[in-house]
Amino acid sequence: MIAVADLLLDGRVPSNYFATNVYVTSDLELGLLENRRGSRLLAIPDHFIRALYAGLDQETGQATRLVLMNCGRWWGKNFYARFCEELSEYYEKPLADMAMGDFIQSLQQCWVTHGWGLFELDQSYQHRGFLLIKTWHSPFASHAPKLERPVCFLDCGILSAFFSQLAGRELGCVQISCESMGSDCNRFLLGMPDRLQKANEGVDQKLGYEEILQQVCA
Amino acid sequence: MNTNLETIFNEAEKRYLTSDELGAVGQYVDSLPERLGLYRLLRDQEVTLIQAVADQLEQDHRGVSVPLLEQCIKSGVLALRSCALTMLMMDDNHIHERMTWLKQSQQTYQSQEIDASFYRLLDKQLNASLNPQQMALLQPSLTVVYNTLGDRARSVEVSENLSVSSLF
Repeated sequence: MIAVADLLLDGRVPSNYFATNVYVTSDLELGLLENRRGSRLLAIPDHFIRALYAGLDQETGQATRLVLMNCGRWWGKNFYARFCEELSEYYEKPLADMAMGDFIQSLQQCWVTHGWGLFELDQSYQHRGFLLIKTWHSPFASHAPKLERPVCFLDCGILSAFFSQLAGRELGCVQISCESMGSDCNRFLLGMPDRLQKANEGVDQKLGYEEILQQVCA
Repeated sequence: MNTNLETIFNEAEKRYLTSDELGAVGQYVDSLPERLGLYRLLRDQEVTLIQAVADQLEQDHRGVSVPLLEQCIKSGVLALRSCALTMLMMDDNHIHERMTWLKQSQQTYQSQEIDASFYRLLDKQLNASLNPQQMALLQPSLTVVYNTLGDRARSVEVSENLSVSSLF
């Protein structure tokens, strides 16, 4: 028999930790944004993102992709640590013991609350050893220069570092569709780096995401 | 805070409140003792109320896994707490904000069917435990929950599916 009292943690039921109206607090006089644990948040204006792309292009040229990807990896690594710390403290259990549904829902809400757009995890390719992540309204896509190829290098770095730590093994990430090229959403394919080689080749050949997925899973 | 009252108090910054506006404030203040009483009752009786629903749910759905039943019950607890707070604050916006999370959770766990049963049983239990005046206070927020997560949500989804598939 299910005992309702046992389902409550000291009388509370954990739910939406990253709810925007609860998670972000602001002090207009001091010009500060803080999260619900009192850690400082940084708001980045659109101009900053555009300037970041323009500045990197001028300073590093073709290496911009690599720089952004590495910045994303560093960011993703720290983001994973904070995400785990906050969520496991709130749920009063280690991340590994959390229900997958709660974890994914929290990650989706976290993405929205930080202003990175909508996030969806597509597990249809999991049996092939790949995870497909879809995002919408990414500020890093909408302000990126038009390059005739997917441009969310920062997101790629964040996702590869985040899921590498979650999986406990090194994972690569290749963006196979991009809002900046008129696609309905950004699609990121995560998997073992050597198995993503075909996806990288497909992107270089300017193939559509469906063709790339077919080739990778063939 | 109740958004309607917040708007009224913001207006009072530049002028005295009209009789209608004061009437709205008075109506809320007059109903507050009753709202507080119902909120305390729901808080103190929560485990008893939900346990009765959970026992019946478990009996009716013997084939369903325990983790799914537990998830459904936890969502139900959150929904009822949100209803109680919405009733206390007399602020419908609160329940709508909470529903987004619970609806997403329902989709993640594919628990539409079991949730519909839960909210049917919860409605019966509340009707048996609360008097008509208390039910009337709670009803607006309960209706939002039933429309979003209960049978009514399912009937909307089914009719949407039917109308879309009938196009082909």
